[in-house]
Amino acid sequence: MQKSSDALPPLKRTWWLKHRYFVAYMVREATVLPLLFFAACLIAGMIALLRSDAAWSSWLEFMSAAPVLMLNGLALVASLYHAWTFFQLFPRVMPLRIAGRTLPSQAIVAGQWAGVVLVLLLFVWLFTGGAR
Amino acid sequence: MLISKSKRCDGSAHQASEVRGAMLERDFDIVIVGGGGAGLRAAIAAAEQTRENGSGQRIALLSKVYPMRSHTVAAEGGAAAVTSAEDSLQAHFDDTVAGSDWLAEQGVVDYFVRHAHRELVQMERWGCPWSRQDDGSIQVRRFGGMKTARTWFAADKTGFHLLHTLFQTSLKYAEIERLDEYFVLDIAVTDGAVAGVIALQVATGELTLLRTKAVVLATGGAGRLFRFNTNAGIVTGDGMAIAYRHGVALRDMEFVQYHPTGLPGSGILITEACRGEGGILLNKDGYRYLQDYGLGPETPLGQPQNKYMELGPRDKLSQAFWQEQQAGRTGSFAGSDVVYLDLRHLGEAVLKERLPFICDLAKSYINVDPVHEPIPIRPAVHYTMGGIETGAECETRIKGLFAAGECASVGLHGANRLGSNSLTELLVFGRLAGERASRVAAEHDFVDARPGQEQARRQQAALATLCEGSSEENWVALKHELIQAMENGCGIYRTEAGMQDALDNVRKLRERYRHIRVNDKSSIYNTELLECIELGFGLDIAEATCLGALERRESRGAHQRLDEGMQKRDDLHCLKHSQVFYRGDASAELQWQDVDVSISAPAERVYGEAGRTASQGGQGAHS
Amino acid sequence: MSTKSIRIKRYLPEQADEAYWQRYEVPVDDSTSLLDALTHIKETLDSSLSYRWSCRMAICGSCGVMVNGMPKLGCKTFLRNYPADIRIEPLAHFPVRRDLMVDMEVFLEHLAAVKPYLIDTAAENTEPYRQTPTQLARYKQFANCINCGLCYSACPQFGLNPEFLGPAAIALAHRYNLDSRDQGKAQRMAELNRHEGVWSCTFVGFCSEVCPKHVDPAAAVNQGKVEAAKHTLIALFKG
Repeated sequence: MQKSSDALPPLKRTWWLKHRYFVAYMVREATVLPLLFFAACLIAGMIALLRSDAAWSSWLEFMSAAPVLMLNGLALVASLYHAWTFFQLFPRVMPLRIAGRTLPSQAIVAGQWAGVVLVLLLFVWLFTGGAR
Repeated sequence: MLISKSKRCDGSAHQASEVRGAMLERDFDIVIVGGGGAGLRAAIAAAEQTRENGSGQRIALLSKVYPMRSHTVAAEGGAAAVTSAEDSLQAHFDDTVAGSDWLAEQGVVDYFVRHAHRELVQMERWGCPWSRQDDGSIQVRRFGGMKTARTWFAADKTGFHLLHTLFQTSLKYAEIERLDEYFVLDIAVTDGAVAGVIALQVATGELTLLRTKAVVLATGGAGRLFRFNTNAGIVTGDGMAIAYRHGVALRDMEFVQYHPTGLPGSGILITEACRGEGGILLNKDGYRYLQDYGLGPETPLGQPQNKYMELGPRDKLSQAFWQEQQAGRTGSFAGSDVVYLDLRHLGEAVLKERLPFICDLAKSYINVDPVHEPIPIRPAVHYTMGGIETGAECETRIKGLFAAGECASVGLHGANRLGSNSLTELLVFGRLAGERASRVAAEHDFVDARPGQEQARRQQAALATLCEGSSEENWVALKHELIQAMENGCGIYRTEAGMQDALDNVRKLRERYRHIRVNDKSSIYNTELLECIELGFGLDIAEATCLGALERRESRGAHQRLDEGMQKRDDLHCLKHSQVFYRGDASAELQWQDVDVSISAPAERVYGEAGRTASQGGQGAHS
Repeated sequence: MSTKSIRIKRYLPEQADEAYWQRYEVPVDDSTSLLDALTHIKETLDSSLSYRWSCRMAICGSCGVMVNGMPKLGCKTFLRNYPADIRIEPLAHFPVRRDLMVDMEVFLEHLAAVKPYLIDTAAENTEPYRQTPTQLARYKQFANCINCGLCYSACPQFGLNPEFLGPAAIALAHRYNLDSRDQGKAQRMAELNRHEGVWSCTFVGFCSEVCPKHVDPAAAVNQGKVEAAKHTLIALFKG
């Protein structure tokens, strides 16, 4: 007896173009590409810093080039988009219960964005000399 | 296994393995026909029994659909069993017997009420998500015709949860082999004992002969004989017709339950639990008309009281609708006369928690939001009280042939079934049938295969005839004429002339059916062929229903006549079960059978205030 | 009453090897469901059209089809919501046997694989369990699956790899894992905590979008991932 799954028709490589929901999913997954670029930039920066002053300044120059700025801008947007999708999904994956009652999803999503704002504020404080 | 490339719909297989005489043959100790609540419960009971005694029986569970599609899935309200300390077995017995208008087999009712609670607990042990009280114990709700709250429920999807719990539990038992999408055409009977089941595998069109020692029919009711019904498309009475054609009586078929609250147009069921939770029925003037039909006095809004007003039994409520309709006090919705089920005072929170499915159905199918508007409703055929005659242990007059659930007439419901007794019935009698079938199978051997093969070949020939050539007669026209005839003749109120007309019509349709042919000659998923066969089953049952109705010269439970001198119950002449016997192409024959009234003598059946007075006066006498 | 035109993807394996599109004109009013339209076609226009149906009230799960590329229940799809162009196909990702009939065997195999029944190691007991409404609420949503298979047609991971247990089966396993009466979680983990179990899911989430009963199988699968990860960690520490 052949397994019933053997007879299933194979999916084409373009399956994700068939429906806008799948396109949105692929965009979500593709946010990793600009983020990879941003991570590579950061690593290159650290290596440059360790090597020499010259390397560091050429890295700074590289980072201020228009296409690089654009790509990193894209990475920021992509990470925010990914965060948005992630935050939406989070309450469904980790429903939080307090005293037997499930917290409403909106509260969990709001809590996560509050966390983002807090981290941003922390960085603003650090970079505007708040630590000194 | 490869799909056979047979090009004919007569069921002959050309490439299949294990072919003997152009058809598959397999052996099972027990074959269960029908994968709904009763069939699954019977299969599990048989599996547990054979596991216990180590007899190693093989059980086949056949269904023309996947088991979780069975119509049990659509039951909404709940399952009755005596649960609270204030309740008693006697009270459940009294309610059921009075509900049946004293046409129930009282020994059977007694067995039923005694085993009801055990079965519901068993479902709970198998994981059924029953609704709960705050302390974690079982919650019960009120139901029509029941003296007190004793109906277990799982929100308003009790049947759905029961069926899925049973189906999922059945997966534990390797003893059970499911044959999904096998359409049963006939049983094989040798020397008065059942010997096999002949089925068509829908996916391939191949005929299969299952040799067996015991068969349980659990094929459900026949609500699809009627135009407005709450039933699924598969509820076509196949098992009833099969047993009937082999000489088993169809008993009490004239009793067809109209559920008072179906949606106009489709007939989709709006559960009685709506009224149990406090919903009220209004006519077009906003008046609670039930108080005019012996169900009053009016109970205060939000304080439903058992056996009063909206919590009267289904037959009385449907009859009250008909009276209002005659008096011109019904409204109109989508071409149907309707009354209104008002749930608004229950509030959104209660509706969401207790009746979420109802809210969804009303919104989707008639665009009415019960939170803000009353739901227009009308009676629709819901349940077949009668069915395959069985003894108290579910066995028919054919040795080894059992029946359980709606297809059976074990004698529980008499002339009218109480809401929430049927889900419990599936469990109590499904189990009993499964256990008895297992015992019969253990005591007997397979009989000679040849007569079974002979019968299977006759089925094959019949299929070939259906698929041969073409004909003026077409199943669609016949089906519509049938449901129209039944609607006209066997409605909520019946007349001599109307029933005679229906019977004559059905007999003519049976005659015409012999010339019917299907256009689709293919073998893979030939659904036209199946509809045709179902129609043939339906026509035979319809004759039994009409004949029983015509000959019952009184009004009792769901059978109400307008004819002079027959508007009341007549215990002197009619305290009897009707039994209709099949006579081939000739007209069916009717006989009468005594009713077991050994525990509770017939009394007047009254509800509302009159019921309270009567029970204070009389019912204690036989308790 | 007006009419609308429906295109149906037909497949009659005994007549032709290829599927083809066929157009039908059907009468519609405000309440006409797709199932009503199919019934009209079968009874008056073309009796050879095959499709599954039964309860017509969205609880039996028989009548799933693709409507303009979306998996839907025929009985709960109303033609009033489709102004033009209605394309009906059999459920995606399942082998088509004839017209709108697909082979559901793989779905049933996956359901059975996750041990979808209450497992209690305690001795036989005839008392009901106690379960508070709060405990019931934890799994109730996942117990509402009607096994219609729409989520499998929505799941590209199942489309790519039919060995993936898929949304409904995992949701059902999760339903029992969350049930306070059940003790079978460890047994089910063997199936769930593997590549073809929860780990094939990439949280596309479309399964939950198309679910007609709001079961949210995507949530169940991904909660299952958390459980599976915990299970692995615990096993690691236990050695």
